[in-house]
Amino acid sequence: MTEEPRLSAQDMIDRLSPVLSLRTRIRAVAALLAGVAGAVFMGTLWWTEPGPLPGRTHLAFALFTVFCLAWAAYGGWLLTRRIPLFATDQVIAAWIGLVASLTTTAVVTVVAVQRGAGVGLPSAAGGVFVAVALALVVRAQARRAALLRRKHELTGREER
Amino acid sequence: MTDELLVTRAQLGERAALAQLVARWRMPVWTYVRRMLDAERADDVAQEVWLAVVRGLPRLREPGRFAPWLFTIARRSVTDRLRGEYALVEETSAFGDLVGEAGAEDPAEALVDRAALVSVLADLPLLEREILVLFYLEDLPVEECADICQIPAGTVKSRLSRARRLLREHLKEKGYRP
Repeated sequence: MTEEPRLSAQDMIDRLSPVLSLRTRIRAVAALLAGVAGAVFMGTLWWTEPGPLPGRTHLAFALFTVFCLAWAAYGGWLLTRRIPLFATDQVIAAWIGLVASLTTTAVVTVVAVQRGAGVGLPSAAGGVFVAVALALVVRAQARRAALLRRKHELTGREER
Repeated sequence: MTDELLVTRAQLGERAALAQLVARWRMPVWTYVRRMLDAERADDVAQEVWLAVVRGLPRLREPGRFAPWLFTIARRSVTDRLRGEYALVEETSAFGDLVGEAGAEDPAEALVDRAALVSVLADLPLLEREILVLFYLEDLPVEECADICQIPAGTVKSRLSRARRLLREHLKEKGYRP
């Protein structure tokens, strides 16, 4: 059995590196966050627009919102199916998500107040986003802590 | 360093641990893929397997069970390439499993020379070839072979028994004497 694979271990790792590159992961996180934040922002502008709007404006708002949601879906698909987010990456991504949720909520609330609409709906919607982001931060931290504990246990066992 | 520690470190995001896992399991994966497919497709499929492994690694819940998980992915990739062939043999294998059960514990068939095995593997039917590769070339226990092939352990044993019988017949045909 002298036959050998054409790709060496290093070749294989090189071929995997596009999937593992930091840039790819940042792009996916940015697509998801910008998509969600954009959709929320568009929704707020649409909802707080004073007076009755012509049909064409409704269509434009709807198209912009769908466009943002499409980016969010693309980012979500990349992050869940195509790009591996390891435990440390998940912690960083979750914190970025939390900061983005807080910022979006603040911006949307300010816009709603300036346009004379109530703060109830934007705050409630923002609250849901912040709560989800917070839950993701807690989950990511817990998962990383569990892996670190297991790593130390196994390392200790091997050193004995 | 155990696989479990390497996988745990890789799941944390340590690139060096991932590289070590690839280096350690590259040959076993390739051996399995190559025994199931021709040389042309083996390298492509092996790369496909590693891509799926890297993508799925953060979601692997039991790092201690890396090997069966890895071969399940490898099997899925091979199955995708051989979809037609698999469908055909799965249909005809049910009767063979029952027949094979009777001779499953034959100790005379227990030892198979690895080099001889490799030389005639390509002549064996798909399912028998697969089970011999997993059990003899990859040294996986019956339970893990069962997990990977998604069949009961009893079926693994009967399939192995039938595979050994076929192998012996092929070896005899080729003039090999144990």
